[in-house]
Amino acid sequence: MELYSPEGLRIDGRRWNELRRFECKINTHPHSADGSSYVEQGNTKIICMVRGPMEPAMKSQVNATSSTVEVNVSLANFSTFERKKRSKTDKRITELKTTLERTFNECIMGHLYPRTLISVTVQVLAQDGGLLAAMTNAVTLALIDAGIAMYDYVSGVNAGLYDQTSALLDLNTLEENDMCSLTIGVIGKSEKLALVVLEDKLPLDRLESVLAIAIAGSHRIRELMDMEVRKHGNMRLAKVSV
Amino acid sequence: MSRSIEISENQRKFLLESLKHGFRLTDRPFDHVRDISLYLSPTEYGYVEVSWGKTKLACRVTATVTTPYEDRPFEGIFTINSEISTMASMRFDTSRSNEEILIARIIEKAVRRSNSLDLESLCIIAGEKVWEITVDLNYLNYDGNFIDVGCFAVMLALHHFKKPDISINGNSIVVHDINERQPVPLSILHIPICLTYSFYNLTDKESNIKGEDADEICLLDADLLEELNRDGSLVITLNKNRELIQLSKNGGLPISAQQFLELTFKSMKTIDQLTDLIKTKIKEHEELRYKTENFKLLEASADR
Amino acid sequence: MAFQVQMSVLDNSDGSAELIIGNTKVIASVSGPIEPKQRQELPNQASLEIIIRPAKGLSTTREKLLEDKLRALLQSIIIRYKYPRQLISIVVQFLVTDEDPKFTANELNAAINCCYFALIDADIALYSSFASVVSCITENKLIQNPTGKELSQSDSHHVVCFNIQEGKADKILLLESQGEFVQEELFNLLSESVSNAEELHTLQRKYLKEKIDQDYIWK
Repeated sequence: MELYSPEGLRIDGRRWNELRRFECKINTHPHSADGSSYVEQGNTKIICMVRGPMEPAMKSQVNATSSTVEVNVSLANFSTFERKKRSKTDKRITELKTTLERTFNECIMGHLYPRTLISVTVQVLAQDGGLLAAMTNAVTLALIDAGIAMYDYVSGVNAGLYDQTSALLDLNTLEENDMCSLTIGVIGKSEKLALVVLEDKLPLDRLESVLAIAIAGSHRIRELMDMEVRKHGNMRLAKVSV
Repeated sequence: MSRSIEISENQRKFLLESLKHGFRLTDRPFDHVRDISLYLSPTEYGYVEVSWGKTKLACRVTATVTTPYEDRPFEGIFTINSEISTMASMRFDTSRSNEEILIARIIEKAVRRSNSLDLESLCIIAGEKVWEITVDLNYLNYDGNFIDVGCFAVMLALHHFKKPDISINGNSIVVHDINERQPVPLSILHIPICLTYSFYNLTDKESNIKGEDADEICLLDADLLEELNRDGSLVITLNKNRELIQLSKNGGLPISAQQFLELTFKSMKTIDQLTDLIKTKIKEHEELRYKTENFKLLEASADR
Repeated sequence: MAFQVQMSVLDNSDGSAELIIGNTKVIASVSGPIEPKQRQELPNQASLEIIIRPAKGLSTTREKLLEDKLRALLQSIIIRYKYPRQLISIVVQFLVTDEDPKFTANELNAAINCCYFALIDADIALYSSFASVVSCITENKLIQNPTGKELSQSDSHHVVCFNIQEGKADKILLLESQGEFVQEELFNLLSESVSNAEELHTLQRKYLKEKIDQDYIWK
């Protein structure tokens, strides 16, 4: 089974520059959180809930000039192909958590909410590649739903390099296991990178092509997220006017 | 009660102001690494002490014979232990902080996951006996940038280390003492070097995100003061073959893709320098050992 | 036998010392008096936090036992009543060792001597100076400062630490013995060690004097 046929088709029938099916919903948990979202990127499914700005639980979290963002990541035991119990202090989870915290600390207008805590909970229901990217998208949407002021969307996607030659956009698990995968988080419509994670070998001279397709993919994801946000906004507006 | 290091506003502003005017407080160019001093143990293979400026750490490589993992019977075992104690700085308290975990993860990704050490060469008897190589990183003094120094020290120690020679008799193996038979160096496939760039935003957040110009300052190898005041960081790991081993920009100040690409290309020069440093230092050390321990007498070849 | 000390080697500790004694190299850092954690606080004296890190691998119960022995020694020699409700944090990192892991004599000896210099460097108040000597007995012969090889072939090994008042070894602060030995051998060893400890103390004074001359060079 080859991941990229000579005709240019991948195992799920996509071409090199096609995203997987991207579905998102916001305000999925209106009563249990201030902001919530549900993102499906291919078969990767993530729920995100945001509470805040609120009183910090610990004195150590109080920052006089800006809000503190706290992220909790939980990977369900059934989220992968083989059921696996994960501890909350797993190194990989801590790394994901810290990355998300540091990314959103920069993009939220923290100075508007000094001495408060914004608590983000990310619950991963199914993993099929592009985990960090999907989490970034889910958190962005949940923050928007919570009404927390942000400079712009942070949209994430991953891209890889097949056989040292072809760049492929939006990898699933099978593809991720076989080739290097670059995950990026892009701010809005610009080319500013909030987050970049590459975990396997990639020839330096191929970086530009992989990065270019990833940025294009992120912009497309941003459009899709924006459409959903506006749709939801219009729907809420219609309900209020009635 | 927090054990974090506190920097006064004055110090912070002073640092940012001097960066704005184009120089670092220690008068080093923005893209230069600090002075490096290396110590390779003349008696013990695999023990090195590395200092980049004032950041100092000791690294030791040890090998033992053990049974391989069941699902990988042809591969040896390679582990890196990197625990930071309060000796390095009060900041690294006994409970493992996020910072410490990030440092350990990045070094692991750079060295272990990238297969810099050939695990198959560590196999002795498939499925039964393999070498287990353990690398212990002991951080002694913290003056910023444990990631780069840690990775460099691990690669240097791996090059310096030699495992005892073995001979196989059917199903049993004989491990020869290093005084009996010349020990064997490890098979290292490539040398990953990490470089950490720190970013500083001199304007405000909005102009950074919405603005067009790349006004961010970028420093290589930040020392303690620079590291505490930075707005974001990027760790680039490359080897001399122009292969990107890993990239970690875990959030922090957003930078433009153009600047990002430029940084990765610019890094090659420093990567080459550091890789050559490891190789020359090891070679020097080998020659010194050759002379002092009279290896010439052990050679069996004739002069041609 | 090699004996070399370097003080104030670390930047982030109040006091530090790097000691090479025989084939053992150890570095110790002392920070204090500093703010303790709630559970560590003692109402009328300083609490001690002692962490020992081995040269190879991760900390195990072996290091915990060494910490305990070192704590017993330092608890009585540091004037703890001078720093109530404070913490003195001591971290000892072994860099090079030469003994088989089942022996801890050389390491304990090096750790004690290194802590002495680190405590002085950190300006922590001590009741008196102290010096430790390690020796082993092989077939009725006493060997001072044995190497790892000599240790593994010995019948018994001992680490003894004296406190030094006015250049004279006064009381025994710590005596760790392992192996088979008779009373006569032990007493013989103790009297030999007294002179060794006093010699060591003159070396200590020499290094301290050099350090102080260096520190007050502009005075």
